[in-house]
Amino acid sequence: MKKPLTFSQVANYLILIGGAIFVIYPFVYMVMNSFKTGAEIMNAPTSLPNKPTLIGYTGVFEKLNVGRLFVNSLFLSGTVTLLNTTLSAVGAYAFAKIPFPGRNQIFGFMLLTMMIPGILFLIPSYIMLYNIGWVGRFEALIIPSAVSVFSIFLIRQFMIGIPNELIEAARIDGGSEPVIFVRVIMPLIRPALATVAILTFMGSWNDFFGPLLYLNKPEQWTLQLGLLQFRGTVPGENAEQIWALTTLITVPIIVFYFFMQEQFIKAFANVSLSK
Amino acid sequence: MNTAIAKRRARWWNRVRRSWWGYVFVSPWVFLYLIFGLYPLLLSFFLTFFTYSFPNPANQTFVGVGNWIQGITDPLFWKSVGNIGVNQVIFIGLKNGLGLLFAVLLSRIGFGARILRTIYFLPVITSTVVLMTIADNMVAPGGHIQRWMSDVGLIHEWIFWKSQEGLPMLVLALINTWKWFGISTVILLAGIYGIDKRLYEAAAVDGANDSQMFMVITLPMLRPQLFFLLVIDVINGLQMFTEVFSIGFDVYGGIRNQALTPVLYLYAQAFDRSNVGYASTLGLLLAIMIAALTALQFKFVRSDPEV
Repeated sequence: MKKPLTFSQVANYLILIGGAIFVIYPFVYMVMNSFKTGAEIMNAPTSLPNKPTLIGYTGVFEKLNVGRLFVNSLFLSGTVTLLNTTLSAVGAYAFAKIPFPGRNQIFGFMLLTMMIPGILFLIPSYIMLYNIGWVGRFEALIIPSAVSVFSIFLIRQFMIGIPNELIEAARIDGGSEPVIFVRVIMPLIRPALATVAILTFMGSWNDFFGPLLYLNKPEQWTLQLGLLQFRGTVPGENAEQIWALTTLITVPIIVFYFFMQEQFIKAFANVSLSK
Repeated sequence: MNTAIAKRRARWWNRVRRSWWGYVFVSPWVFLYLIFGLYPLLLSFFLTFFTYSFPNPANQTFVGVGNWIQGITDPLFWKSVGNIGVNQVIFIGLKNGLGLLFAVLLSRIGFGARILRTIYFLPVITSTVVLMTIADNMVAPGGHIQRWMSDVGLIHEWIFWKSQEGLPMLVLALINTWKWFGISTVILLAGIYGIDKRLYEAAAVDGANDSQMFMVITLPMLRPQLFFLLVIDVINGLQMFTEVFSIGFDVYGGIRNQALTPVLYLYAQAFDRSNVGYASTLGLLLAIMIAALTALQFKFVRSDPEV
């Protein structure tokens, strides 16, 4: 037997669905306009494309080497994610499960560094990387992000829950620490690794400021920087290319998100619980 | 005496040898932090006492606390602090208020809660530059939102919001609310699902209605989550840059510096005027403010000793 909907439930649904439409509409607007001509975008921005055209997309591909930008974005985000997740997990293992002299002091210092606002590093890092010749090189964005306090902290919180007996048993059996890490720990911390990997990948893929500062040659641009090339001085200029490129940037991450939504949402919820 | 010390030393050395892998495993972070964290921090502090223009580091002159005095008395810097303050008060209130409303409503329905939550989260995972491009287009004079407002009679002429007094920071706060309220919804919803149902049952026995339950049970139980959101919002929000830059304001925040944020100003000083020493000082001033605000929150808002 289904219970009939009460008035307040109907009101709940109305507000919630209204909110959902409000959130989704701009994305629909973006995709819709990416299939129009510039004139049609100007005159009828809110209607469905009259005669769907790919002129925006061809415009983008003519002006930019989109494949190259896509590969750059993917290479950058992929490398950072792989390095950051691995090195942070290794560090987290030491902080959670290997008692060594000075461990608590190093960990305390690490937590302290989390309180420093990122903005402070902006200028001195730029000067330093400029002086060692990394401006205009991918290293400038990869190496400093190869491990992070935030990831170490998240994975460590998760690892603390693993019973020590499990690790002690493996140690008695003669397993060395790297072997224990790979064989015993890695399979057990998959959810934490997924969390860190998703957050790192997203941050890196959507990063704008870093590439803006360090990747100054067109062949190194990421998708995000490509967008700047179409920014005109007159409103409505390049409109069809802008909508096509924003659609191209957004669709991969949305598809990825819809397949992995549980992990994405858990990734963010985990962050709030680990505090 | 000597043998006791030797014994202690031997024991210590033994522990170090056993824990050798511990040092190996934390060394990537330690080395990278020393090079890319601590060194830049010290360099930044050092630079605040110099004028240092970027492409020619040779033009470096010692100015003592000159940069600090200039920063503390710079009306543009304080203008940017005021701008971001107004923006963040509106943004933090709206974003978390809306997040709380949607979390409570979602917790009361069964069917459809998951797909709705997924949708609210969509702007959170999307690139800021992309969202600002869409938003710029939609809120522009003659854009989608203004056309609609004009159709229903809310406005009678196009609003040039980027140049109108008082509007840029308000509009940016509304756009950012749209982008970020989903994260509050998700975190608060997880908090609500974690509240012991027996509390509500007991309150129902005592004859409490929905709004009383919300005020007496839900809201107090969500304090850790709300506190977490507040701390993160303040730290991130005060460092706003990409939004203003990518929606098309110049590095001085447009007309009458209305959209100037502290980080944008710092960027302008460093990369437009090449005043690197001064920009470092502004960065430190901002960091001190953020740290002080965070400390205040921990002192006064903190939910309970464990959080």
